[in-house]
Amino acid sequence: MPENKLSDTIRELAFQMEEKEKRAAELIIANEELIFQNGEKEKRAAELIIANKELAFQNEEKENRAAELIIANKELAFQNKEKEKRAAELIIANEELIFQNEEKENRAAELIIANKELAFQNEEKENRAAELIIANKELAFQNLEKEKRAAELIIANEELIFQNGEKENRAAELIIANKELAFQNEEKENRAAELNIANKELAFQNVEKEKRAAELIIANKELIFQNGEKENRAAELIIANEELIFQNGEKENRAAELIIANKELIFQNGEKEKRAAELFIANKELESFTYISSHDLQEPLRKIQTFATRLIADEFQNLSDKGKEYVLRMQDAANRMQTLIDDLLAYSRITISERKFETTHLSPIIEAVINDFKEIIAANHATIEVGKMYDAHIIPFQFRQLMHNIIGNALKFSNPDRPPHIIIKSRNIKGNEVKDQKLLSEKEYCHITVTDNGIGFEPQYKDHIFELFKRLHHKEKITGTGIGLTIVKKIVENHNGVITARGELNKGASFDIYIPSI
Amino acid sequence: MNSNKMKNIFLADDDADDRMFFEDALKKVAISTQLTVSNDGLELMNNLETIMEPPPPDVIFLDLNMPRKNGFQCLEEIKNIHKLKDIPIVIFSTTTNEDAVNKTYQHGANHYICKPHSFELLVKAIETVLKLEMWQKPQPPKEKFVLAFA
Repeated sequence: MPENKLSDTIRELAFQMEEKEKRAAELIIANEELIFQNGEKEKRAAELIIANKELAFQNEEKENRAAELIIANKELAFQNKEKEKRAAELIIANEELIFQNEEKENRAAELIIANKELAFQNEEKENRAAELIIANKELAFQNLEKEKRAAELIIANEELIFQNGEKENRAAELIIANKELAFQNEEKENRAAELNIANKELAFQNVEKEKRAAELIIANKELIFQNGEKENRAAELIIANEELIFQNGEKENRAAELIIANKELIFQNGEKEKRAAELFIANKELESFTYISSHDLQEPLRKIQTFATRLIADEFQNLSDKGKEYVLRMQDAANRMQTLIDDLLAYSRITISERKFETTHLSPIIEAVINDFKEIIAANHATIEVGKMYDAHIIPFQFRQLMHNIIGNALKFSNPDRPPHIIIKSRNIKGNEVKDQKLLSEKEYCHITVTDNGIGFEPQYKDHIFELFKRLHHKEKITGTGIGLTIVKKIVENHNGVITARGELNKGASFDIYIPSI
Repeated sequence: MNSNKMKNIFLADDDADDRMFFEDALKKVAISTQLTVSNDGLELMNNLETIMEPPPPDVIFLDLNMPRKNGFQCLEEIKNIHKLKDIPIVIFSTTTNEDAVNKTYQHGANHYICKPHSFELLVKAIETVLKLEMWQKPQPPKEKFVLAFA
């Protein structure tokens, strides 16, 4: 079996070999087929690459084309817009043209009329020319006739020459007549030539008139345009004019208001002047009233006082205790009234008396005033310090009164707990060194300060203390009338000066006086 | 002036109270006097003329502000009458006006009494003036005094 087996195996192997060879041959064929197919495929691939490239190129081309189309599209959109604008412009231009056409038609109608006129004139001229031509023809005919006649005459002449003899005279005459006719002919020909020239002249004039008509059309258009401009301008002027008329109206109203306001001011000024004059008179009257009344009050008062002294001297013992007290009180009241009247008199004298200014050194006046008070100064153990004094432009007796009242007050309103101490100082300053509107900034002033250590006053009364009859203290405590500082203020004002007061209750008072140095 | 002899005093004043004050004051003066009173200047001049028989006035007290004839006019007239011109004149007035006082001296007044507010002072003023006049005879010239009492 192994042989069989082997042979089977060999056969099997052979078969397998054979099969393998067949298979190899098939494979070779299949391979060749594949090689061929590969070649084909490569060719196809190359073709496809080419086709691909072609497609890529075409795509690119298409993209380029698309881009171009987008641009072209935009261009078209832009052109469309432009065309729309242009169309709008054209509509406006069209309207303008329609208007112009209308104008032109109007003008053309006018020109047609003018043209018809010219045509009529031309026709007239042509008629005239035709007439002249007819006249010319007539003349030419007559000439012809005359030539015929001349020819006939020549024939007759010849006949006559032939007849000779007696007819020679006649012939000579005819020759003359002939010459005459020739001359007339010539004249007629000249006339025809002249008519021709006149005709040409007319034709030329017609041309000229046409030119002129064209010019007139242009000039007309220009005038129409100018008219338009003038109408616009006129409309503007009318508006401007109305504005001006309105403004003029406003100005007139304002002027009228100002005139009324002016009249009102004039009236008020007049009233003020009247009032000022009245006040001036009233003031003068008041001043003289004060003087006269206080002077006349003296008389009865003096008698009351005198009777009181007599009562006290002669009848006092006859009075009850009450009666005695009443008489003493009456005398006290009368004495106070006298002080009051004296002060009022002093005040009115300061007001109405003549003011004689002198530039004077202040020291002697102050020394004299202090001397007036020497008894009081001694009695109260008062001290008065006087610093350096300067010149001032003053009314001496008034300034003395001023210092008298101020120093007198300082002594009178002394503090009972301490002896009076008064300090008087002065310095030269310019008005602008002090904050007071009443002082002239560039003027030189003498600034006098009087300071005391008396009972003083509350700071809020610093202006009140200068008012007439203004007493800050009870009259039982302090004698006086309340006119002293009013006189002081009046005197300072008479000197074109300023006085101010400072005070502190129970510490003292200080007066600042500013009087012009020169 | 003989001091023992009664002094002949003339007064011209239109004010009844002042006349009364003067008469009463004069009585208090320690000098023997006889007073002739006139109610105004004109009456004074008449009195001076009619009562020219001796004794003539030793002193004339003259108010300034009077009706009919004022003190200045009387003063001027008296100084122009020979028999009267040497009689001492004392002005007796309420006026303290400096110009008015000076004017009286210029017209020949010898003294000026400003009517005082107290009876005692009036007595003293009259007394002083009368004593001065007695001591100083004969005059002029003499010193001028203003006795002004406030």
